[in-house]
Amino acid sequence: MAIEVLIFYLLAGVAIAAAAGVVLARNPVHSAVSLVLSFVNVAAIYVMLRAEFLAVAQVIVYTGAIIVLVLFVLMLVQQQDLPEFHGGRPLRRAVGFLLGLVLLAEVAAAILTRSLRGAPGSWPPEAVAAVGGNIQAIGRELYSVYMLPIQATALLLLAATVGALFLARPELIEERLAVARRLFTISLAHPRGVDPLQPVAELPGPHDNERKPAGGDRVLVMARNAEEFTEQPAWGEIRR
Amino acid sequence: MSELTTAHFLFLSAALFIIGMVGVLTRRNVLIIFMCVELMLNAVNVSFIGFAWEQNALTGQIFALFVIAVAAAEAVIGLGIVMALSRRLDTVDIDEVRQLRE
Amino acid sequence: MDWEPLIVSYLFGFVLLNVLLLAMAYMTWLERRLVAFFQDRIGPNRTGPFGLLQPIADAVKLISKEDIVPANADRLVFLVAPLLSFVLAPLGALVVPFGDAVTVFGRQVNLYVIDINVAALYFLAVGSMGVYGIILGGYASGNRYSLLGALRSTAQVISYELVLGLSLVGIFILTGSLSLVDILRVQQRTLVLGGLELPNWFLLSQPLAFVLFLIAAVAETNRAPFDLPEAETELIAGYFTEYSGFRFSFYFLAEYINMIVVSLIAATLFLGGIDGPFVDGVWWLAVKAFIFLFFYVWLRATLPRFRYDQLMGLAWKVLLPLALINIGVTGLVRLWGIGAL
Repeated sequence: MAIEVLIFYLLAGVAIAAAAGVVLARNPVHSAVSLVLSFVNVAAIYVMLRAEFLAVAQVIVYTGAIIVLVLFVLMLVQQQDLPEFHGGRPLRRAVGFLLGLVLLAEVAAAILTRSLRGAPGSWPPEAVAAVGGNIQAIGRELYSVYMLPIQATALLLLAATVGALFLARPELIEERLAVARRLFTISLAHPRGVDPLQPVAELPGPHDNERKPAGGDRVLVMARNAEEFTEQPAWGEIRR
Repeated sequence: MSELTTAHFLFLSAALFIIGMVGVLTRRNVLIIFMCVELMLNAVNVSFIGFAWEQNALTGQIFALFVIAVAAAEAVIGLGIVMALSRRLDTVDIDEVRQLRE
Repeated sequence: MDWEPLIVSYLFGFVLLNVLLLAMAYMTWLERRLVAFFQDRIGPNRTGPFGLLQPIADAVKLISKEDIVPANADRLVFLVAPLLSFVLAPLGALVVPFGDAVTVFGRQVNLYVIDINVAALYFLAVGSMGVYGIILGGYASGNRYSLLGALRSTAQVISYELVLGLSLVGIFILTGSLSLVDILRVQQRTLVLGGLELPNWFLLSQPLAFVLFLIAAVAETNRAPFDLPEAETELIAGYFTEYSGFRFSFYFLAEYINMIVVSLIAATLFLGGIDGPFVDGVWWLAVKAFIFLFFYVWLRATLPRFRYDQLMGLAWKVLLPLALINIGVTGLVRLWGIGAL
């Protein structure tokens, strides 16, 4: 067996196992870490397929930006009472797995009986080497044949940026100020040190230790002793 | 099989895609569903690049590049929606998000 | 399959890693001494001559300390996160060229581990992976301060990574290649301006990009004045508050190795790497990297920490537009073929 095939099986095995981890992990942060592992292995497979630029783009865009943002949002949004994968909805789960198996069988049959081959392209390895490498070849192709699509992609990204800015704003101005400051924004550091809109009473007084943090209430509470600290988990479940 | 063929990469792609699909069908946390969608997009990229490798073409690689760009745009909007959702309804469980239905 | 180049590459990588670890150890000594002198103190001078054995004493101390895992921690992630940080840190150095090929025992040996077509992007990719060590460590500690440090770090690194990447685009436009070996070759030429003969270093043709790269690199390595993720006065120590013993030392190692790698890359990209007066060689690279490392220490001893909103404002409202303007101007210059660039 050729060494390439062994390497491929190793990479593909880890990629698939990690992908399964994304679906099976209880903790969403563990899912995200699995996904990173899967993406990095797939990037290595891209290198085997002579797509060095895409391998690096995959690592920079997917693992370096998208999953980091997912983790960021995971840590910002509520993590108590997470919907459990392993509890409830057995019917839907069974149907999901069944559909997956059916699709797998279909695709496997399609791959094994595939007889259609496209016309060979114009970039054999020698041609790619002649222009200087994978990235130069992609650049030439991208900025000549695919000039219009890449402009459209640029517009799409711009629209997405504007959309994200719009989505991040609450609807009403009063609400915007109140909600953004009090409910769901973890103040990474306030510009002036003191937030005039945040009532001081938000912080629990000396006698309401029993108070559970309400739904969207995310005030930072200073713990006075070790027990109190573990009673009020910051984010995620308590482990004992 | 003692040599790498396109079928190897197609099977990898199919496996990743189906795992992603099962995840979308069975999980309820919006963020995990989002990650599974990314996994499916990525599986499609493996196919694209596998075919480009087979045919000595760059078209597949360039398509994969566009998929990555679109995935980035989708991530930005998707995560923005998740933030808005959790801010408004206080949940990331899609079964509880049924405002549009009722 | 031809195994010889592979084995030579591995051996060279092994030597490089050890040199990096040694350099890192003495970087900590140098920083403590230099900061001490900046602050009119003496610094560690008791262990060995000039305190030169201090790093060894520190290492022994850190390894022999207890490895504590908080009860509230996400155990697996907590244990793995520092290793991730440490493993990813030296990877960027693999693409730095340390000189022309030399002949050892009748064999041609290249003085770099790998020359890949996308070397500069590879460096950025490895850098972007480095944030995982921080964000996972901060999350897994189960501590509010750690989580705040991790969140700050994420936002900061994503923002500055953009600037770091865009500041290099000018160089790519001028060289038409992303391989550091090619970029180095272009810089070894001579630039003739009027009657002057100057080295064709990108410091001279891309000064704005150099400044942007420098600022973004300091932010990317989480060093003062951009060390908000740790910010000991407000967040205790940020993401590694809960770490102790050798896991803490892994974060520490990663930070210093990152500094050294970024200095090597900056010297190669902007200061001509091994190119220098008299005889070209790895010593010039060492001298240039040392200048950057001294600059890091100097910044730390001189500047107060940024406020968080200032930090993000700087990245998105000042550095990013400047980087885009630089790309546009460089592209136009290249298009119209002005000068000998």
